[in-house]
Amino acid sequence: MARYLAARLGYSLITFWVIVTLVFFLMRLAPGGPFDGERRLPPEVEANLNAAYNLDKPLAQQYVDYLSMLLSGDLGPSFRQKDFTVNELVVSGLPVSLTIGGLALLFAVLAGVSAGLTAGLRPGSRADIVVMGVTNIGIAMPTIIVAPLAILLFSVTLNWLPAGGIGSWRHYVLPPLALCLPFAAAIARLTRGSVAETLSEPHVRTARSKGLPMHRIVRRHILPIALLPVLSYLGPAAAALLTGSVVVEQVFDLPGIGRYFVQGALNRDYTLVMGVVVVYAGMILLFNLLVDSTYARLDPRIRLSG
Amino acid sequence: MKTCLAGLLILAGPYFAGPYLSAQTLHIGNAGEPETLDPHRYNLRLEETILTDLFMGLTTFNATGETVPGSAASWDVSDDGLTWTFQLREGLQWSDGRPLTAYDFVFAFRRLLDPDTAASLAYFMYMLENAEAVNAGRLPTSALGVQATNARELVLKLGKPYPYLPERLLYPTGHPVPRHVIEKVGDNWIKPEHWVSNGAYALADWQPQSHVRLIRNELFHAPAAIETVVYHPLANEQSAYNRFRTGEVHAVGNFPAGELDWIKANMGDRLRLSPLLSIVYLVFNTTTAPFSDVGVRQALAMMIDRRVLTDQVQRSGNQPNPSFVPEIVDQYQPVALPNGTMSQAERIAKALQLLAAAGFDEANPLNLTLRYVSGTEAKRSSLAIAAFWKRIGVETQLHQSELKVHFADLRQNDFQVAQAGWFGENNAEHYLGLLVSDTGNVNYGRYHNAAYDDLMARARREADLATRNAILREAERLVLPEYPVIPLYRVMIRRLVDPRLQGWHENPRDVHPARFLNWR
Repeated sequence: MARYLAARLGYSLITFWVIVTLVFFLMRLAPGGPFDGERRLPPEVEANLNAAYNLDKPLAQQYVDYLSMLLSGDLGPSFRQKDFTVNELVVSGLPVSLTIGGLALLFAVLAGVSAGLTAGLRPGSRADIVVMGVTNIGIAMPTIIVAPLAILLFSVTLNWLPAGGIGSWRHYVLPPLALCLPFAAAIARLTRGSVAETLSEPHVRTARSKGLPMHRIVRRHILPIALLPVLSYLGPAAAALLTGSVVVEQVFDLPGIGRYFVQGALNRDYTLVMGVVVVYAGMILLFNLLVDSTYARLDPRIRLSG
Repeated sequence: MKTCLAGLLILAGPYFAGPYLSAQTLHIGNAGEPETLDPHRYNLRLEETILTDLFMGLTTFNATGETVPGSAASWDVSDDGLTWTFQLREGLQWSDGRPLTAYDFVFAFRRLLDPDTAASLAYFMYMLENAEAVNAGRLPTSALGVQATNARELVLKLGKPYPYLPERLLYPTGHPVPRHVIEKVGDNWIKPEHWVSNGAYALADWQPQSHVRLIRNELFHAPAAIETVVYHPLANEQSAYNRFRTGEVHAVGNFPAGELDWIKANMGDRLRLSPLLSIVYLVFNTTTAPFSDVGVRQALAMMIDRRVLTDQVQRSGNQPNPSFVPEIVDQYQPVALPNGTMSQAERIAKALQLLAAAGFDEANPLNLTLRYVSGTEAKRSSLAIAAFWKRIGVETQLHQSELKVHFADLRQNDFQVAQAGWFGENNAEHYLGLLVSDTGNVNYGRYHNAAYDDLMARARREADLATRNAILREAERLVLPEYPVIPLYRVMIRRLVDPRLQGWHENPRDVHPARFLNWR
């Protein structure tokens, strides 16, 4: 078991290094530099800027410098957000992204499991057809469509909720909702399928024939088994939700790290993009590691081989 | 009580009764996140907006965007135009109560041009004596042409006459910075906890990508009416429009052009249109055939119908501008492109004739690639331009790229024909200077004309503004019929402003200092 996890950790670190290296060089390959704009930069000024940010050193040297900085936990100064370091920006943006992603995960699980359960307990019923229809739409509609529609309806037309920014609790309603929709739909379909399957299992039939009340059968005999596939879906879903808010952050003007990523890429803010990639990659690898270790716990074959 | 009131406000009105606002605070939507609030390191217009509230240079803007005395009460210029002596306003103070003196300005200009500051707009002050050498590290900062005679008298010495100096001093590159704080806390002086400035507002709080909160500076010589101003960085035009309509912000910059007609019909009292000092143009790469041929450039230029482009294709309020200098520049009479009076048929005939002379006809059509920055408006314009050229058999390939790539390629001279724009100043030289040979890589098409260069150099030696403008006009008259560029239009700034806000005046610089604003 320990050896299995150590191996997974080793692979994760290698993957992490490959990602960092790839992104580092891909960024430099993109045409234009961090200080390009429409305005004229005299050569003296450009030289001053490049010297201030060490861009006048050879690329290999810059790469080595970046890696050693990263090892000491320093993501460097932002090239464009000149008054902040990348660490400061990540510290200010990450909580927003995590809150939106966390709420979206919560909404997705609550809505998805209840809808899937309702549908799965009565396969073929009208409720089942409605839930499956809605989830089909939910999976098909990307966030980039849902989010502006939600703003148009709930903010601009009804004026119930703000159209963007952060502040009060009202700002945390629409973004997670828009973000969670496809995930809620996926969870609903997974739950429905496995609930319907579990219904025909002998132990559930036995429980019913004993005359146990339905809510008890659901809680004791159906959900624990039916939710297993949902749980294994949650690992990648959590990673996708916590890091996948790039679109939502743009549409809702949210100060999360997804927005830094977009702006950093457009501005060729090398260090900022690298910083966000490091955080995203770290989070995704961490979630995968967690899922792997959960599997290891659940699956005796892995336990034995370890 | 507050929530009750907010509830009532929601019921009271659909747009402006936003429950997220307090009565005194002004919320302004800004075009994006400032990259810095250090006036010497700034680079963007959206930073200029905030910095103008935070600092005041020797000159400043009034409520209608004109240049007026700021920290300086008055100034004199020597006859040769090289020595400018500024008398500072009496009793100037920093927001922490420290007196602000001419020595602070000396420190500020030296800091701006110090290579260690790495100011990307340091060249804004290259007219100062020795400025370029100081900025390149060849001379110490003490060699810069700026001196304080005493606490209230500042002398700026120029290398060449520059009659637009008062206008140039409006920019944050001319703002003073608090030496006493910088020497104590270094680069951290920019953090809200150390913040000291000399404008009508001081920085209270800055949450990246969320907001910049300014608080009134009570020590400013004419304290502002509104106590708190919050600038919100908005991700795009649609989000600006949404957040204005929900009442979360009281004023926003550009909204989606497609909404203009609906807004005119339904929220006309909130709509503010004002022409911006700007020119959007097509530039030819004059170093490559066939665009090195004046005839080809002329043929293409003649086919552009500016009126159709702005009024029927774009429909966003932009105004046709047939000269390279925007027609709204003060004290300057721009020269319009020739052929203005020809009919469509005459134009086509003449253009075909010019193309034929260059060897292009139906059997051998001219193929070209037109580059533009990704975006709906630029795309529509490019399609229209391609259609204009189709009339004379020209095949146009459209090539879009994001802003950075577009201008990086243009600067490297890697294009045939491209859209470009130049914004900003209220003087002809700012625009005409783009076509001078030694301008560097923003002369994207590498246009070279010795006679034009001579005229521009002559203008730049001239201290008298009227004479200088006359020479500039001569230069424009010389360069336009050479078609290194095809001027297209001036940008119209479209804003939405809460009608309760007083003191908001449209102006060609599109500046609206918060200190002149008040609630009705």
